[in-house]
Amino acid sequence: MKNPVMTASGTFGSGREYADFINLDRLGAIVVKGVTREPRAGNPTPRICETPSGMLNAIGLQNPGVERFIAEDLKWLAPLGVPVIVNIAGGTVTEYSDVARTLSRAGGVAGLEVNISCPNVKRGGISFGCDPEMTVKVVAAVRKAAPGLPLIVKLTPAAGDVVGVAEAAAAAGADALSLINTFPGMSIDTETFEPRLGSTTGGLSGPAIRPIAVKMVFDVSRAVRVPIIGMGGISTAQDAIEFMLAGASAVAVGTANFVDPKATIDIIEGLERFVRVRCIDSITSIIGAVKVR
Amino acid sequence: MGAPNGPCQTRVQVLSVQNLGTDVFVMRCFCPEIAKRARPGQFVHVKCGDDRAYILRRPFSIHRVTSDNAFELLIRKVGKGTKYLSTVTPQSQLDMIGPLGTGFDIPEPTKKAVVVAGGLCVAPMMFLAEELIARHIRLYTVIGAQSRDELYYYMDFKRMGRDVYVATDDSSQGHGGFASDLVPRAIEDGAPDVIYACGPHEMLAAVAGCAREYRIPCQVSLEASMACGVGACLSCACETTEGPQRVCVEGPVFDADRIEW
Ligand SMILES: Cc1cc2nc3c(=O)[nH]c(=O)nc-3n(C[C@H](O)[C@H](O)[C@H](O)COP(=O)(O)OP(=O)(O)OC[C@H]3O[C@@H](n4cnc5c(N)ncnc54)[C@H](O)[C@@H]3O)c2cc1C
Ligand SMILES: Cc1cc2nc3c(=O)[nH]c(=O)nc-3n(C[C@H](O)[C@H](O)[C@H](O)COP(=O)(O)O)c2cc1C
Ligand code: FES
Repeated sequence: MKNPVMTASGTFGSGREYADFINLDRLGAIVVKGVTREPRAGNPTPRICETPSGMLNAIGLQNPGVERFIAEDLKWLAPLGVPVIVNIAGGTVTEYSDVARTLSRAGGVAGLEVNISCPNVKRGGISFGCDPEMTVKVVAAVRKAAPGLPLIVKLTPAAGDVVGVAEAAAAAGADALSLINTFPGMSIDTETFEPRLGSTTGGLSGPAIRPIAVKMVFDVSRAVRVPIIGMGGISTAQDAIEFMLAGASAVAVGTANFVDPKATIDIIEGLERFVRVRCIDSITSIIGAVKVR
Repeated sequence: MGAPNGPCQTRVQVLSVQNLGTDVFVMRCFCPEIAKRARPGQFVHVKCGDDRAYILRRPFSIHRVTSDNAFELLIRKVGKGTKYLSTVTPQSQLDMIGPLGTGFDIPEPTKKAVVVAGGLCVAPMMFLAEELIARHIRLYTVIGAQSRDELYYYMDFKRMGRDVYVATDDSSQGHGGFASDLVPRAIEDGAPDVIYACGPHEMLAAVAGCAREYRIPCQVSLEASMACGVGACLSCACETTEGPQRVCVEGPVFDADRIEW
């Protein structure tokens, strides 16, 4: 990776959607939207609503299925030369390993991000990521199905024992951990008495969750040895630095892309400026450098 | 980066904000990049101030484009973002992305068109009507509003074609009821080649029903709650015969018979 800034899954489409606004090849990596074995139609609308300093979403993993993803999106992305990380999801362990196997044979994939943290699907997703035993099963199966690919396991802040899940994922073969996915949430229209999301509840993202995310990165980085990709409300270079100080080796930008399509580029440039102004060798030197009193 | 006709992110200069009535205003903006590329039915995604508590952009249809590289938005104040926009002073700048989405298609040869606009959804229809007139297409316009004070563009449409059908919810002018009630009459008077409609979902469904009955192609402009506006987040999905489609990219304008009403 030429820099530690990547996109957060589900907020950057397959990259192509932002090609009109930024130079994609400046990104450290592109993490594409969640892909499942079969196509998924997603949840009823409205699928998003705005909340203080953030938003709730309940997209429900709408995607064309892994075969069409490879034939269309990956085909477009692979020649760009930016590392492409594919976010994978499923309702059963077998679905995860099937997607992983198909992608490992596709070529042009730099790594897999195993989404065991989606709050918006009935089966799999978050229910796997809250349970260390299930985490081990999914991660071990994916590891076996795609032996050649770096594996990132994406954790949910809803797990009671995030550190326990993180340790389980690392023990089962994760090469890196990414955290956090959205936090389960709900909003109700006080005029109509109806939930503001079509599927009643959703996942909270944006600056509202940043302090929760920073703490989880901090806690997990002290417990496991694998590198951490930090995310949750990162909108500026300063936010990215905060995550790196807490222990993240890289960061991902999600909701901020909606607010400003140039967010990733501004953050990359801000980190470069930070390195110059602080006269440090590399941004990597601040990883975990928080001075705890 | 940046296809010549694709959307761009740019700082747009506000030229004026003019109140049309309580809560409704027209914002005139200078921006060659957007004005030159815009097609009727497309929209801009606008950052409404720097309030850290409400960060998402707001989508607004392009209401009109003028030859001086300017364009207009017609906006109703409903909440925080639109309230902010109503207070913007001339010469200030707004961060916008646009033009976005797929606009109306004017098939060749079109000689006559019915244009249906319900409420403030008249916004994109003014741009469309001006384009139709420029192509010498005869207009039959159906406009609906809550009451006569809200028929902002009656005179403009009247100038563009004498066949203007009016419906108001409170019967203060024209037909008392929905704009869609008047669509059969407009179709029978005009024998149009195409029908264009923008308005509340129920109204669009009714217009689509009429169009199907009379076997006339119909294009509708939909709304949806949007986060990114550029096709990345899939928040704006609508059900179509070809599966879920994005209102912000494949739409907001769709062929009515592709929508699962
Ligand atoms: C493609 C597209 C084109 C649009 N064109 C126009 C236009 O030309 N002129 C215009 O005035 N508006 C238009 N809208 C609607 C406009 O985007 C919303 O009114 C705006 O986002 C509200 O922002 P706010 O911050 O003022 O309201 P918020 O504070 O976000 O919400 C306040 C209230 O408004 C309601 N509201 C929010 N969004 C909408 C919506 N999309 N439709 C109806 N009610 C809503 C909310 O439910 C809430 O009750 C368009 C929407 C779309 C998707
Ligand atoms: C609209 C939307 C869709 C998302 N889709 C996915 C997804 O498919 N897979 C996944 O692992 N995370 C998904 N996420 C979670 C983000 O990748 C990220 O973890 C989370 O939003 C926190 O980062 P942020 O605050 O910067 O957005 C989604 C988030 C949003 C807002
Ligand atoms: S608003 Fe994000 S895909 Fe349409």
